Amino acid sequence: MIAMDLMHHSSCFLLPTIPLQRRPSLTYALLVLNQNLPRFTPLLWNHAQLHLCADGGANRLYDEMPLFFPQEDASDVRRRNKPDVIKGDMDSIRREVLEFYASLGTEIVDKSHDQDTTDLHKCVTYIRDSASGLDKSNLCVLVVGALGGRFDHEMGNLNVICRFSSMRIVLLSNDSLIHLLPRTYCHEIHIQTSVEGPHCGLIPIGTPSKSSTTTGLQWDLNNTAMEFGGLVSTSNIVKEEKVTVQSDCDLLWTISIKKL
Amino acid sequence: MDLMHHSSTFLLPTIPLHHGPSLTYALVVLNQTLPRFAPLLWKHAQLRLCADGGANRVFDEMPLLFPEEDASDVRRRYKPDVIKGDMDSIRKEVLDFYRSLGTEIIDKSHDQDTTDLHKCITYIRDFAPDVNKSSQLCILVAGALGGRYDHEMGNLNVLYCFSALRIVLLSDDSLIYLLPRTHHHEIHIQTSVEGPHCGLIPIGVPSRSSTTTGLRWNLNNTEMRFGGLISSSNIVVGEKVTVQSDTDLLWTISIKKL
Repeated sequence: MIAMDLMHHSSCFLLPTIPLQRRPSLTYALLVLNQNLPRFTPLLWNHAQLHLCADGGANRLYDEMPLFFPQEDASDVRRRNKPDVIKGDMDSIRREVLEFYASLGTEIVDKSHDQDTTDLHKCVTYIRDSASGLDKSNLCVLVVGALGGRFDHEMGNLNVICRFSSMRIVLLSNDSLIHLLPRTYCHEIHIQTSVEGPHCGLIPIGTPSKSSTTTGLQWDLNNTAMEFGGLVSTSNIVKEEKVTVQSDCDLLWTISIKKL
Repeated sequence: MDLMHHSSTFLLPTIPLHHGPSLTYALVVLNQTLPRFAPLLWKHAQLRLCADGGANRVFDEMPLLFPEEDASDVRRRYKPDVIKGDMDSIRKEVLDFYRSLGTEIIDKSHDQDTTDLHKCITYIRDFAPDVNKSSQLCILVAGALGGRYDHEMGNLNVLYCFSALRIVLLSDDSLIYLLPRTHHHEIHIQTSVEGPHCGLIPIGVPSRSSTTTGLRWNLNNTEMRFGGLISSSNIVVGEKVTVQSDTDLLWTISIKKL
């Protein structure tokens, strides 16, 4: 049996403060796409060292961040939550929003000539290849706004996390978070019970899995086969504070986010 | 291979007579915000079923789509034929209201192995008495997308588990249905209500070869898989799209905001 490296996962980015831990700490980048901001966006913003909007995501930031701080002046909130970069097609961002952030020093990277990849794809590539001043040795990209809206967009966004399988990319909505568990590792998922769970699932999105094994779930898998059209682990329940997963194929892990 | 025709006529105000076999529609309402065209789907359906908390949605939100009318009148008019499922989300007042109007209540609270949608599809396929089975059945589902992601994936899986049935998942933004690999497909685009954004998604298994016509970026014996190429952000050109593939594909198209 081949000994596989262990990969640890923890939704520390959903905690008010990220606890010190023995493992090397992660650097977070936050990417905002064009859907309603989830309620914990300010929290993610605080944890991130790089803040990036994909095109119309800048409209969301401009319009909706002030709504999280109703007792404050909207302009102050916008100035305080200024993206470092706005990137993409530029076919959704409003002119006034673009000019507002440009005047504050946000880097505008116009990729309007490149129609072959989604906005998320372009932004992940940018973060991986270009973003200077970012410690990428232990990087985790948090993405809001990738789910909901047009279904082909949502699937295109899921495909991005499958294509960039060597990067930590987490898609977040008000209800759930999703990330890839690449087949090349055994996985330990440390459940932050104050903010996530208990509803969870393991999804063989791209290929059937001949064998997956878990611990820590209500309905654990034990060398179990999973495939669309047959068994897919959904409506599962996290039972313990540590869930382990190993599989012969890349799986999507999803867990519910608590409404606090 | 046999040809299978598809057309989103259920999104049109009136369903035109046409040459092919007419479809009988059933509507399943799950527990998410009703899409704005829910009354239209309701009108076309011969059977209306709520899965558990979907009944709360019909009770609370149908009146909002008819703000000039009395809420009770709207609720009486939009009374589901059946409410089925776990019964752990439906409010007691809602259950009592519809029960008093004659809605059939089917309590499956002992069966935890399948999703609410799965239970409803099974019910429609096996037991629905008045749905005309000699014409083709098409099950329209509102509320299967959004919300908890494991639920959404479970609902997509239902399309694959019942690949011999026509099941369409609908949200305000998109519709989705399966194109089974056993058929060649002709999709007749209703340009007044859908498009142009579309996609073909190989969920669950890679496709070695898919071929299309009628799209801006057609596939030509093209491979598709998650982690590689999938056809998203595509565009329909014209009124007919054809698809054939070695695997089941999900077809999705945007719904116009009118």
